[in-house]
Amino acid sequence: MPSASTPAADGAGPGITTPGDGWLRVHPASPFVRGWVALAAIGFFFGRDIFERTLQGRPMFEDGFAGRVPWLVAGGGAVLLVAVLSFVLTWYFTKYQVSGGYVRVNTGFLFRQQRQARLDRVQAIDIVQPLLARIFGLAELKFEVADAGESAVRLAYLKIDDAQQLRATILARAAGIDEDAENLGAPAPEAPEYPVLSVPPSRLIGSLLLSEQSLFVVVGGVASVVLSAVTDNRAFYFYLIPAALGLAASYWNLFNKGYNFTAAISPDGIRLRYGLLDTQAQTLPPGRIQALKISQPPLWRPFGWYRIQVNVAGYGLVENAGEASSRTTLLPVGKLDDAMNMLALVLPDPGTSRPAEVFGAGLTGLDSDGGFVTTPRRARLLAPLGWRRNGFAATDTALLIRSGRWWRNLVLVPHQRTQSMALHQGPLARRFRVADLVLHTTAGPVVPRLTQAGLDEARALFDEQSARARLARKRQTTEQWLRQVTPPGAGPESPAAATGPERNESHQEQEGPHHG
Amino acid sequence: MRTEAIDPPGIDWHRVSPKFVTVRLVQWALGNLAAVVILSLPLVFVLLEWWRWPPLWLAITVPAVTLVVALWRLVLIPRQVRAIGYAERDDDLLVRSGIFFQRTMAVPYGRMQYVDVAVGPVERSLGLCTVKLHTASPGTNAHIPGLPEAEGARLREQLAARGEARLAGL
Repeated sequence: MPSASTPAADGAGPGITTPGDGWLRVHPASPFVRGWVALAAIGFFFGRDIFERTLQGRPMFEDGFAGRVPWLVAGGGAVLLVAVLSFVLTWYFTKYQVSGGYVRVNTGFLFRQQRQARLDRVQAIDIVQPLLARIFGLAELKFEVADAGESAVRLAYLKIDDAQQLRATILARAAGIDEDAENLGAPAPEAPEYPVLSVPPSRLIGSLLLSEQSLFVVVGGVASVVLSAVTDNRAFYFYLIPAALGLAASYWNLFNKGYNFTAAISPDGIRLRYGLLDTQAQTLPPGRIQALKISQPPLWRPFGWYRIQVNVAGYGLVENAGEASSRTTLLPVGKLDDAMNMLALVLPDPGTSRPAEVFGAGLTGLDSDGGFVTTPRRARLLAPLGWRRNGFAATDTALLIRSGRWWRNLVLVPHQRTQSMALHQGPLARRFRVADLVLHTTAGPVVPRLTQAGLDEARALFDEQSARARLARKRQTTEQWLRQVTPPGAGPESPAAATGPERNESHQEQEGPHHG
Repeated sequence: MRTEAIDPPGIDWHRVSPKFVTVRLVQWALGNLAAVVILSLPLVFVLLEWWRWPPLWLAITVPAVTLVVALWRLVLIPRQVRAIGYAERDDDLLVRSGIFFQRTMAVPYGRMQYVDVAVGPVERSLGLCTVKLHTASPGTNAHIPGLPEAEGARLREQLAARGEARLAGL
């Protein structure tokens, strides 16, 4: 595939210069949007003095100022010039290109860096709009590629239309839609999407108020009041002020991130949108979710709310914990129906003839409901509350691990995503003839661990699961989920059919192995 | 090698080299003896009457307990080394370890991303090496220590070849 054949170049808006060879630049304003703090600091430094003097009614410049004016102006100008020049240079040397199955991004002018990412290894694409970028109609495109340790490739900033266009192009290429000759140069159409669910703000606020964090707040607050009453020490209140500020910030952050959460399905995968001031749009292509956890904190139970978190390769390695937690949340809070809908999107083929019963038992069931195998009765002393709930069930496509009597959890690992696994047994577990089975998955909030399964069941599962994972791996040979299927948007096919496994399998036969 | 309760039946485990005991002994000496010596310092200072605190019984108890724990670990080392085993099956590699806290791990060849061979100074002098397997999961903490160098190289080549043949996406 020649590198000159980049349809994205023609799809790019007029705001983007084309340096030739299909290399594109980001929006010229982007270093200013990113570096506005630096510019503001320079402005503040020089402006503050003048501003204060004006306020105090003194002459705007002190006596003898005139003599120093040239130096000050020269100094300020030089700092400003260096800043602006570095911005312009950064912008000039940041180029990107989509061609030949790769995305390449060049950055830096002193220390050049070229990153290239294989399109069929794209794990997820996010469009992030911080508030300032949003005001200017710009967006950052961020995609996770499971190739090496540091996996995120970022393009900041593009015009929002261009970012969406580029996302559509990357997804189309990653899905394996060939550019045919007459279509060359035309931008890839955005895949159609169908809304699945949204989270109303009232439910979000309710879920935050009833979250685990609030429990700790109440306990901590009561403890400090009691302590201060007992010790007659007023200093406690002063410690409460920063704590309250931190909490307010944390609640605000959660609210800001979770506000207006909507999920939609398209042939390109699951689309998530959320955010009040900073908005984010995530696209998770089909089959990229490595593991999933549905949980229900005790206080959510009266309302029947659930939360879904996922592991996606690359999402777990984010330096910023807050960002990571919002990106790995598939559903911040939702009713049972919402949770089941999301589950159906992640696992289009549940691998069982009665999915509602099996997954329902996984969420709320006890003992052997829905075919779950629980901790044997002989080991009930090890988990006096949870032994009737700790258990597993395997469908044809995924392993379900449920746990927690009060703190309900259901972990789901698709067979074809199982990396490796291990049986663990300590001395106490040996005494009760039970063992733990740990499934290893990519870094993230979900840690699948089956606790205290009966020894024979655990050993059988260890063997069966190896076999199932092997079979699933053999069946799945391509990472390009729409290979040689009509381009998205061509037919009004239902989303489930577009991402369904039968469809994938049917065209995988035409696709040879292409992993180097 | 005895097959433990959590091991799949009928596996012919390969054991690591008995010389690996020496490596573990050196590691043990570096870690535990240093801890005992440092924790004994207060006792010396108290006996020399440089320090008034801690009381004598505490100054004796802490290093004594540490010493007992260290000796216990020392006694366990040969058994722990004997408990390390690995077996190449058709589609995955089994690695087991531990006597009290046992672990049996299966790493499918198709999931291996790369294989490392690491050699430390003590291992090098004994002609040993450690083979480490990496998958996309940080939880796959599979390393086989104490392999003779030739066996380590063979295993690495073998694993790489098998991984190549069966490599799947993430």
